[in-house]
Amino acid sequence: AEKWDMPLAYPATNFHSENAAAFAACVTEGTGGEIEIVTHPGGSLFGGADIKRAVQTGQVPIGERLLSAHANEDPIFGVDSIPFLATSFDDSVKLWSAAEGAVEEALDGQNLVLLYSVPWPPQGLYFNKEVNSGADMKGIKFRAYNAATAKLAELTGMLPVQIEAAEVSQAFATGVAESMISSGATGYDSKLWENVSHFYEVDAWLPRNSVMVNKDTWAGLSDETKKVFTDCSAKAEADGLQKAKDYTKLTLDGLASNGMKVLKPSDQLKADLALVGEAMTDEWLKAAGDKGKAIVDAFKAN
Amino acid sequence: METLAPIILFLFVLFLLLGTGVWVGLALLGVAFVGMELFTSRPAGDAMITVIWAASSSWTLTALPLFIWMGEILYRTRLSEDMFRGLAPWMARLPGGLLHTNVVGCTVFAAVSGSSAATLTTVGKMSVPELRKRDYPEKMVIGTLAGAATLGLMIPPSLTLIVYGVTINESITKLFMAGILPGLVLAGLFMGYIAVYAKVSKNYKPQPEPQMTFREKLANSRFLLPVIALIIVVIGSMYTGLATATEAAALGVIGSLALAAGQGSLTWKTFGESLMGATRTSAMVALILAGAAFLSLSMGFTGLPRALAAWIADMQLSRFELLMALLVFYIVIGCFLDGISSVVLTMAVVEPMVRAAGIDAIWFGIFVVVVVEMAQITPPIGFNLFVLQGMTRHEMTYIARAALPMFALMVVMVFILIAFPELATWLPENMRTRP
Amino acid sequence: MIALGRGLRRLLDGLYLAGGMIAALALVSILAIIVAQMIARWTGLIFPGAASYAGYAMASASFFAFAHALNRGAHIRVSLLLSALGRHRRWLEIWCFGIGSALTWYLSYYAIKAVYWSRKLNDISQGQDATPLWIPQMAMAAGAVLLAIAMTDHLVRVLVLGSSGIVADTVEQSHGE
Ligand code: NA
Ligand code: NA
Repeated sequence: AEKWDMPLAYPATNFHSENAAAFAACVTEGTGGEIEIVTHPGGSLFGGADIKRAVQTGQVPIGERLLSAHANEDPIFGVDSIPFLATSFDDSVKLWSAAEGAVEEALDGQNLVLLYSVPWPPQGLYFNKEVNSGADMKGIKFRAYNAATAKLAELTGMLPVQIEAAEVSQAFATGVAESMISSGATGYDSKLWENVSHFYEVDAWLPRNSVMVNKDTWAGLSDETKKVFTDCSAKAEADGLQKAKDYTKLTLDGLASNGMKVLKPSDQLKADLALVGEAMTDEWLKAAGDKGKAIVDAFKAN
Repeated sequence: METLAPIILFLFVLFLLLGTGVWVGLALLGVAFVGMELFTSRPAGDAMITVIWAASSSWTLTALPLFIWMGEILYRTRLSEDMFRGLAPWMARLPGGLLHTNVVGCTVFAAVSGSSAATLTTVGKMSVPELRKRDYPEKMVIGTLAGAATLGLMIPPSLTLIVYGVTINESITKLFMAGILPGLVLAGLFMGYIAVYAKVSKNYKPQPEPQMTFREKLANSRFLLPVIALIIVVIGSMYTGLATATEAAALGVIGSLALAAGQGSLTWKTFGESLMGATRTSAMVALILAGAAFLSLSMGFTGLPRALAAWIADMQLSRFELLMALLVFYIVIGCFLDGISSVVLTMAVVEPMVRAAGIDAIWFGIFVVVVVEMAQITPPIGFNLFVLQGMTRHEMTYIARAALPMFALMVVMVFILIAFPELATWLPENMRTRP
Repeated sequence: MIALGRGLRRLLDGLYLAGGMIAALALVSILAIIVAQMIARWTGLIFPGAASYAGYAMASASFFAFAHALNRGAHIRVSLLLSALGRHRRWLEIWCFGIGSALTWYLSYYAIKAVYWSRKLNDISQGQDATPLWIPQMAMAAGAVLLAIAMTDHLVRVLVLGSSGIVADTVEQSHGE
């Protein structure tokens, strides 16, 4: 029997971590204990930022990571985070099936094998007032935490303010920030209703967590074992998607029942944001080149 | 139980390295290395560098050198003379008289300094000679100073809380807020003890202070303005959310430099000395943190913390029993280790236990600070004892005995914290709903 | 021979001090970065990657100062047994510097290896700075090597001269507490 340590960045109670634990149990059982996967949630082994490198270099055989965080290395990794391109769970699945091949190829070049990928709840806009159009957004202080969100602020005429994740609720309480883009789950987990009034389900994008294995380790497995892995992965991907949907509903209901206004965007706002989306897709295409174009074309053709 | 062998091995190597005088950070590195080599087939060195780089290049950690630097600058100013002049007139009429300047002075200075020893040196270099001149009982002068200086760790800013927060990934700003009320309560306990002592003891016969009118007292209070301004900048900016802990530290450094310049004590020489001193001290802490990061990874691979947490859960210890066990445990290791080392060394194992028991991590940070404060004044290794030894030329045993009542008060403080957890949790939970 | 020894001594001590000064500069740059980030936020500007740059400066401030701090006796150790040994202290110091040299050379080897692999794997910062990580990691490698040199230097001194020349500075050590 062989023990596989599997670092996870998010807390044990997070649905991704629960899903990964089920996957680990599935593999352990499927291989008859020949490979025992032990999950280490909450960054207790490696922090999120280090997990990909740790798997890549064989420090651990397997791990889970929010791949879009590595878009600096290869724009393909950021395909799931283009604002207002794929704006629903169905679209997210479509985009992913268009992109999966290219992502697998990029990972292969980094000594990694992709097993499965599960989306987070869709990203929505938090505001401290009613917003019905792009014009309403002008001049609002918006939390920008990476290049894409800074660009988003620029395109919508909002004022970018830089705030680290740990300081978000305080920033809203003190008016340092008046808006941000994040999933309903973020607001639910950090009780944002105490400081923010409106949440718009614009479903800007659905970032994904991907589970990957070290390529050398993978090559050393028997076909039989590989089959166990692929079967468990397929199950984890399907279960994870359902969990993400359930969690989205749970957290949005939670925001609403705590007094936050959870709203669908107006047609005007939708149209204005779609324009922003086009600009940002172009931006990404410039970085991602022909491979990127092929993905976006395939997605749009569907 | 199968975890027993690795525990014994870890402890043996640890005690061997620490006890023979290997530098703490490297000793942790060595123990972690042994653990990795024996319990996993993974490449130990590569994994070590991954976590050490992550721990060393952390943004949250930058608050540490800045607060250390701030303390080094203030130490070289006239702040302590000014504080004594400003505080003394108000303390003179209280039962216990100017002994209270030790406690109040430490409390005020604690609000701008992150270190217990720096608080002790800064306040003590003024209060000890002045109190001796007025015939206050030596034991009380030494004891209350040794005890009250530990408030430097609890009242924000606090190096121990930064290290704790970085180690277990909790908001440092929240931890800082959590320390304020317990710090004030502990200061109140110290002052209460002084008042009772003054009423009861036959040794207490200091020379009376000259009368001062209210106007004169107020006029003298102007000396407190610089330090109060600094407190407002540092704690105020964090509480109102205008600055993170790191940014407050940066503001504090600039404020202290301005204060030093205003007093004429800022020269290139003092600037350079404060900077190099801060660089060395923060490097010392950073080496310990680097070793601890690797140890924590190594522990994670062995599965030991998880097994221990499960074991504790199986024992069905109540929350209270667990805390009592930890209290005794920390008092014992506190006799031999400095506070930062005992925090980082134990957290990899203690954190999962505490979380499993449903204990709030912010509250537990304050619990840890109280026990670490005790370690400052317990022999044979206690930094406040060392510093006071250098300052007063007393034997260490004498100082430790003088500080013993303060140690007892800190034990009382632990029970107060357990009985009233809101003391620590109320401020951090409510700072975001500020008007 | 003696002149060579003196020259080497001066060179090594100069190296440790230089490391300390580079570290001090890194500390000042942490301050500068944090202040710039604050000002940017107040004025509605963005300082892309500020948090990452502050982190790199933090690593440099630590690693470059390790050797200098060792030389000045600033690193914490439990010295009960050492002082109890009196004139036999030397043997235990040999053990400590021996272990210290082994561990720091081990650390150095993997720190250098990490720089090499970061470069080879094209590992890029995930922040807005998008810095190739091997660049800031060079500071870690250089600082680790400097510490290993210092450890070995002191080991040789204990072996040859009987004492390391380091005087533990408890006042300085206490400042972290
Ligand atoms: Na303090
Ligand atoms: Na002690």
